[in-house]
Amino acid sequence: MAEVTLTNTRKAYGNVNVIHGVDLDIEDGQFVVLVGPSGCGKSTLLRMVAGLETITGGEISIGGKVVNNLDPKDRDIAMVFQNYALYPHMTVATNMGFSLEHRGGSKSEIAERVHWAAGILGLTPLLDRYPRQLSGGQRQRVAMGRAIVRSPQVFLFDEPLSNLDAKLRVVMRGEIKALHEKLKTTMIYVTHDQIEAMTMADKIVVLNGGRIEQAGTPLELYDRPANQFVAGFIGSPAMNFIPGKIRAEGLVTSDVVIPLPRSAQEHVGQDVVLGVRPEHLVAEESGIATLVTLVEPMGHETQISMMLGQTLIHGLFRERLPLRPGSIFHVRLTTDKLHIFSAADGHRLM
Amino acid sequence: MKTELSPRAKVLVYGTMCVLLIPFVFPTWWMVTSSFKPVSDIFAFPPQLIPRSFDFTTYGQVFTLQPFAKQYWNSAYIAAVVTAGTMGISSMAGYAFARIRFPFANAIFMVVLLGLLIPSEVTIVPLFQLFLKLGMVNTHWPLILVPIFGAPSVFATFVMRQFFISLPVELEEAARVDGLSRFKIFTRIALPLARPALASVAIFTFLHSWNLYLEPIVFLSSADKFTLPQALTQFTDAYGGPMWNIQLAAATLTALPVLIVFIIAQKHFVEGLAHTGLKG
Ligand SMILES: Nc1ncnc2c1ncn2[C@@H]1O[C@H](COP(=O)(O)OP(=O)(O)OP(=O)(O)O)[C@@H](O)[C@H]1O
Ligand SMILES: [Mg+2]
Repeated sequence: MAEVTLTNTRKAYGNVNVIHGVDLDIEDGQFVVLVGPSGCGKSTLLRMVAGLETITGGEISIGGKVVNNLDPKDRDIAMVFQNYALYPHMTVATNMGFSLEHRGGSKSEIAERVHWAAGILGLTPLLDRYPRQLSGGQRQRVAMGRAIVRSPQVFLFDEPLSNLDAKLRVVMRGEIKALHEKLKTTMIYVTHDQIEAMTMADKIVVLNGGRIEQAGTPLELYDRPANQFVAGFIGSPAMNFIPGKIRAEGLVTSDVVIPLPRSAQEHVGQDVVLGVRPEHLVAEESGIATLVTLVEPMGHETQISMMLGQTLIHGLFRERLPLRPGSIFHVRLTTDKLHIFSAADGHRLM
Repeated sequence: MKTELSPRAKVLVYGTMCVLLIPFVFPTWWMVTSSFKPVSDIFAFPPQLIPRSFDFTTYGQVFTLQPFAKQYWNSAYIAAVVTAGTMGISSMAGYAFARIRFPFANAIFMVVLLGLLIPSEVTIVPLFQLFLKLGMVNTHWPLILVPIFGAPSVFATFVMRQFFISLPVELEEAARVDGLSRFKIFTRIALPLARPALASVAIFTFLHSWNLYLEPIVFLSSADKFTLPQALTQFTDAYGGPMWNIQLAAATLTALPVLIVFIIAQKHFVEGLAHTGLKG
């Protein structure tokens, strides 16, 4: 087990900069999820930690040891790949024991470790099969088994669940989390699925364009996103954004006025973007009139899309509302749950 | 996917295939049957599909007129050595070109590929001079070295490179994380997975060597060093005319191993040739 520290880490392919000076501290035993849109550099960063990509600048250390110039095999890490990368010509048992074999373990020792890992992951009956004889979920488990047999200092996962169907993904999500509880090893997990990030992480790192936008616990990011990008990325359905100007009476858009908490007055006169999560809309007769465009009942909740002036917004309501497209619907925005971002650069004002 | 044909269509399809088979089967049939016929019957018209009388002495004569057993051995061991050598060199070179980054890799690969464009008729004279200087004329060395370092090996390298490029990089990355060196990755991961490509390289190289004709007649001069294709030309009478039935018996014996291998490994063979993008 070990902590991982990235200091001003940079990566360039030729003269294209992909990672622009990332600083990140990962504590021993932490489950850290790197999340961000496609192409933001999540895989690149993970592969730099693994040693599969060279480091253009800065420093990466694992367990207090700088690993910049170490081979993957000398970093004491294990990696689970998106397509599992199981060796097709070896059985499950051989796949899992392969790394130990190359580190000079004795036969009985290897067999013991493989059986221990297989036991944890429920793979014992499958040990003599070949990868092609397994289902997607089983392959996924073998890939994890191959990683854990060695008890490395750090586990690295690159979108390990993206090839599974939705149901299995939920199951495996739970299993990986449970594995972390059991092993208490540092894990770095890459995904572009913010639900995976929210449900699994001790700490989420939101990346965008090769930079960290924000790092924090899932609820910190949810409740106090540092900027409009994080606010829009974390949460599903996504946060609503309403552009306008702060005046004495509240947020003034081209056609409506939205009441703001009193503290917003210190930004009076500024152009801002107001953010409100769909669950923070409340059906209320005295609220602002909106025009319903879509009603999507999901049973436990109803999602309603509506036009607030010129802006399309979405709301989530626990109650069953008698609405249909074209209805006029009055909503109130919960004042103490509002987020205000600078219109100029998107950073959080309050 | 299998589609069921109506009985009528089946008759039509199989009928057509039988007709199309004639040009392929007839020469082989003619070769085998004629090796039993007296010379006078070989050119009889209409051709005798079934020999009227069988003369098995032709096969005995094959071995008395020439050191045919020795020549058989020559062909076999040369083809085996060439095949093994080519598999070794082409798999390593193909892997290097596919996976290892080194300066001018692509330019060097292009230069290597040029080896395919120069016909052996062009290089045979300089090669002869070279081997003459090395004192290797009338030995088997040229027949071994020229294919291993020549066009067949270049082609095999190309096939192997294409195969290794198509192998998922993640497998090798997983192996790196698992602690394997580059060479171990090659021998434990890449090579075992390259079996289909290696099989096609083996088949192609073996056939090429087995059928080699120009090089033996240029480099070899004593009968006990000859290879089979060259030996076939030696069954002539005192006037230089071919002794047809004996020659055809020798030809049958020459084609036999290829036929047997083909029948046993038919599936591999077809897949292998399909893999190289070569037609037979
Ligand atoms: N070998 C390379 N040469 C040049 N650019 C590269 C190379 N590999 C990756 N990139 C670029 O680096 C950026 C980050 O790639 P990366 O694979 O890390 O993205 P990602 O966040 O993992 O995306 P995804 O969610 O789609 O997997 C991308 O813009 C990509 O085009
Ligand atoms: Mg990626």
